[in-house]
Amino acid sequence: MKQFRRMTYPYIVWALILIVAPLLLIVLYAFTTKGNDVVTTKFTFDNFVRFFSDTLFLKVLIRSLRVAAITTLACLLLGYYPAYYIARCSETFKMKWVLIITFPTWINLLVRTYAWIGILQDDGIINTMLGWIGLGPFKMMYTEFAVILGMIYNFIPFMILQIYTSLTKMDMSLLEASSDLGADKFQSFLRVTLPLSLPGIISGITLVFLPAVSSFCIPNMLGGGQYMLVGNVIEQYFLSSGDWNFGSAISMIMAVIIILSMYITKKVDVTEKGEAKRA
Amino acid sequence: MSSELNIPNENRPAPKKLIQFRNIVKKFDGQLVLRGINLDIYENEFVTLLGPSGCGKTTLLRILGGFLAPDEGEVIFDGEDITYLPPYKRDLNTVFQKYALFPHMNVFDNVAFGLKIKKEPKDIIYQKVTRMLKLVGLEDFGKRAVHEMSGGQQQRVAIARALVNEPKVLLLDEPLGALDAKLRKGMQRELKKIQKEVGITFIFVTHDQEEALTMSDKIVIMKDGNIQQIGSPTDIYNEPVNRYVANFIGESNIVDGVMIKDYKVMFEDRQFDCVDAGFGTNEKVDVVIRPEDLDIVPVKQGKLRGIVRSTLFKGVHYETVVETKAGTSITVEMIVSEDKPVVNAAAGEMMSANDFYVDADDVAQMLESVNPDAFIIDRADAQAWDPESDERISISRLDYTLSKENGRYPVTFFTAAGTSVTVDMIVQEPNRFVAEEHGEEIYAVNFFKKADEIAESIALETDLKIWANAQAFDLEDGNPVEIVDVEYNFDPEKVTPGTYPVTFKTRGYEYRVDTTKETEVGAVVGLTFDPEDLHIMEKDRV
Repeated sequence: MKQFRRMTYPYIVWALILIVAPLLLIVLYAFTTKGNDVVTTKFTFDNFVRFFSDTLFLKVLIRSLRVAAITTLACLLLGYYPAYYIARCSETFKMKWVLIITFPTWINLLVRTYAWIGILQDDGIINTMLGWIGLGPFKMMYTEFAVILGMIYNFIPFMILQIYTSLTKMDMSLLEASSDLGADKFQSFLRVTLPLSLPGIISGITLVFLPAVSSFCIPNMLGGGQYMLVGNVIEQYFLSSGDWNFGSAISMIMAVIIILSMYITKKVDVTEKGEAKRA
Repeated sequence: MSSELNIPNENRPAPKKLIQFRNIVKKFDGQLVLRGINLDIYENEFVTLLGPSGCGKTTLLRILGGFLAPDEGEVIFDGEDITYLPPYKRDLNTVFQKYALFPHMNVFDNVAFGLKIKKEPKDIIYQKVTRMLKLVGLEDFGKRAVHEMSGGQQQRVAIARALVNEPKVLLLDEPLGALDAKLRKGMQRELKKIQKEVGITFIFVTHDQEEALTMSDKIVIMKDGNIQQIGSPTDIYNEPVNRYVANFIGESNIVDGVMIKDYKVMFEDRQFDCVDAGFGTNEKVDVVIRPEDLDIVPVKQGKLRGIVRSTLFKGVHYETVVETKAGTSITVEMIVSEDKPVVNAAAGEMMSANDFYVDADDVAQMLESVNPDAFIIDRADAQAWDPESDERISISRLDYTLSKENGRYPVTFFTAAGTSVTVDMIVQEPNRFVAEEHGEEIYAVNFFKKADEIAESIALETDLKIWANAQAFDLEDGNPVEIVDVEYNFDPEKVTPGTYPVTFKTRGYEYRVDTTKETEVGAVVGLTFDPEDLHIMEKDRV
């Protein structure tokens, strides 16, 4: 073991330079005033005060959380059945389905999102087809609908794979047992399948909610800048206005929110398991 | 329910047919697993479906449980056709092979599952579950998680979970399979006790004949999707209908016999009294004698005589094997030479090979074979090796001619480095022996060996069989017969050049005898039995 430990040193150095140092810089920027350099560092809480005193920023934050929550819920509802179905396929079909589910993630996120623009825009595929039967055109681009649709599309594979994994681990004879004890298919699902897939659901929620809440690329493209989420705000302060200090502060606030929500989901997960153990 | 259960047997009304299987046929991937099963099961019976794995017993149980639908036939339960009724509508419960307890629920909730589905009031659920946990001896374990329970305890939870629903029938699919021997014994007693107490029909699937004999009221013996015999444990043990059942239920001696007339059977060229009748005159039969019904006596008092071949201490008794008639045997000559391996010092190689015998059939086979070299290398036991590292070196080329004519033909083996050895392939008449009375043929050839090779052998009997190419076959079906005995009279450590006889033997007529006293191996003894200990069965019609 000892000689292996030595082999981790380069990685530790790498991580220190490229992960820990930038994080510390963000913390440093968040608590300092604009325009100073390392020699004349001036500490301040102004950046945080500014964020929480301006309702505009809070609105954006709440909107981001709402969009992420809707996306997560939709991924769960839309993804559960496919996951359930794949878990019950024969071994060869399982592999094929998993391949099909993960296939879109091989293509760059930007390219995939551009494709949605083609589908959703005013003279896009959907509106053209609706036009043939005398409907529309409907405005779909640059709406919350488009943003959420884009996010569901991009993040649903994570949900499906997580639930699928937990369902494949389930012993099929448990369903026979529940049927034997008088439960019809729906009751068996509610009392056996669903509770046993809960760990998969929780990690699926984590894997969808986190990227959804901090995403900036999808709202940028499908929301067209009219529809700002926290990710977009941070991006703007860093890239357009050059106010790295305020951008860092928002990033820190987001990080804290994410850590908190992860902590809560972990807690829920543990109590679920713990109950079964204790009870 | 419980009041009527305690009525003693004599006063109980005639048992009612509860389950009827009618001509059940089931195929998996075109393969017949059940070939038309007809079986009636009565109320309050402990029925065991007994058979080896793959006999269809579990499939039959799953059809009754509703997890499989038969391809043909119907299942009648309490007068009602339930063939296609889903499991949750059937008034029976199952204890699964691996228990299938719900891992996300504690013991209490597992047992309460069925009652909660039926939406029974909470207090009633509590009462029933508590009573059931008491029945299986787990009243203090309700709050435990399933995975904290031992195998035996999980088993009890599974039984309680099924019984709490008050089914008319409990199905048990090899439920004791995962338990160790001691726990199994305990659970067998307990299951029987529970069945008596709750007074419902238990249908128990197992491959363990002892388990079946201890627990059942009725045993159903299955083989290849057919029922072989249905009967009480004593019926089946004492009067097996055929060789298969006799073999499956307990150890048996089964010998070929001929029914001379009613109450007279002949085997081992002698006539014996028996208690069976109704066979055709001179009909060929199987005679079954249980090991515990045979006694070892002095030769003069015995009905049969034989030599004690082995004796094994089995705890309560000795299991002694007595051979009354020797197996088929053949003797060949082993010609030992003092030849040493050829040394090729320049290439750093050593090489050896022996003369060998073949017959015209072998030559014919070699002529047809794509690669006769392998056969020749094998028969001549040709080897080349590096004396320094002891590593084997491939033989790269052979030089020989094949002829079916008797005679000696030189064979030369070469390695890539040029080392070579020449031996003779001797073609002669085949050496085989056909024993009509055993229905066997045995075959072996004379062989040449070097003294070192014999001394170096680590499994001499197996090596002798390989060197002599000794094989035995059943004349009827051509299947190989095991050669159980190799006899030789030389000391392998100090064998000197010369010719030695080696004898190969198949198994003869052997009787397993359970005795309380140890008998010396090699002693000549008599065997005796009573007429009622002979169980005569029709020959299996294959």
